[in-house]
Amino acid sequence: MSIPSPLFNCQQATLLLERRADAPLPAKTNAQLWAHLRLCPYCRRYAFQSSFLARQAKAAAEAVVPADLPLPVSLRARLQQLIDTHEAGLQQE
Amino acid sequence: MRTPLIGLEPQQWLARFGDELYRYALGRVAEAGMAEELVQDTFVSALEAQASFRGQASERTWLFVILKRKIIDHYRRQARSPFVPLTLTPEQLPEAEFFRPADGHWREEEYPAPWDGVGDEGRGDVLVEQAEFQHILKSCQERLSPQHLAVFVLRFVEELPAEAICQELGLSPSNYWVIVHRAKLQLRRCLEKNWFQSPPAS
Ligand SMILES: [Zn+2]
Repeated sequence: MSIPSPLFNCQQATLLLERRADAPLPAKTNAQLWAHLRLCPYCRRYAFQSSFLARQAKAAAEAVVPADLPLPVSLRARLQQLIDTHEAGLQQE
Repeated sequence: MRTPLIGLEPQQWLARFGDELYRYALGRVAEAGMAEELVQDTFVSALEAQASFRGQASERTWLFVILKRKIIDHYRRQARSPFVPLTLTPEQLPEAEFFRPADGHWREEEYPAPWDGVGDEGRGDVLVEQAEFQHILKSCQERLSPQHLAVFVLRFVEELPAEAICQELGLSPSNYWVIVHRAKLQLRRCLEKNWFQSPPAS
């Protein structure tokens, strides 16, 4: 499978940036991407911002949940019932 | 009489791990109702699977493994819509919103703008209103299509390897990268509009 050159193509260059984050690119493609980033300030920005997003995603997911938020009362009651029923069933076996 | 299973104390699960499991789930799905469902499914599976607990992991780790499995299953159901774009013309592809189909250059109105505090030349990330930023990122995420959201959360929040995500969601590697790229393009633009261009007055 040949990869289209990212040399003069920002769409291809930014796609390859995402791809490179998961697996190394073929040497030739990587060199073309490097050259593109030297020439193109927009894709250079995209590269920083995209990896910034990736770094922030987990922290953001966890931060929006208050650290002292308890299990809702109704769910707690349902779960307790589940456990009691299950454990009682096992006792009888 | 049942033989007591080594190390598992289901009567203690709620007190010890209930809140933590719920918060974990809530950080990874959009709605509280869904988080509740995932925690309940986790308890049901854990109760059923007690015999498979071998004590190699702690009870807490074991429960989290089950919850993470439930989260993956949730996103697998969400992302079931088939991957369509092969029949679209270049002008109809989502990428055409950002790049000129003729030569793949950024459209002028989509040029990425500099983000204050996001290290351009080797500087670290300096974000003033971290909490505010995180809320905007989360609400931008919720505007993604189900399939894009599934890939984004599994890759960048759950931090699964790309290969595992392809397998779970039935994606080829090239489709996977196209989705990551589209999700990032949309999130980047959404953040730029809602955060970096009009930071809240301090
Ligand atoms: Zn470019």
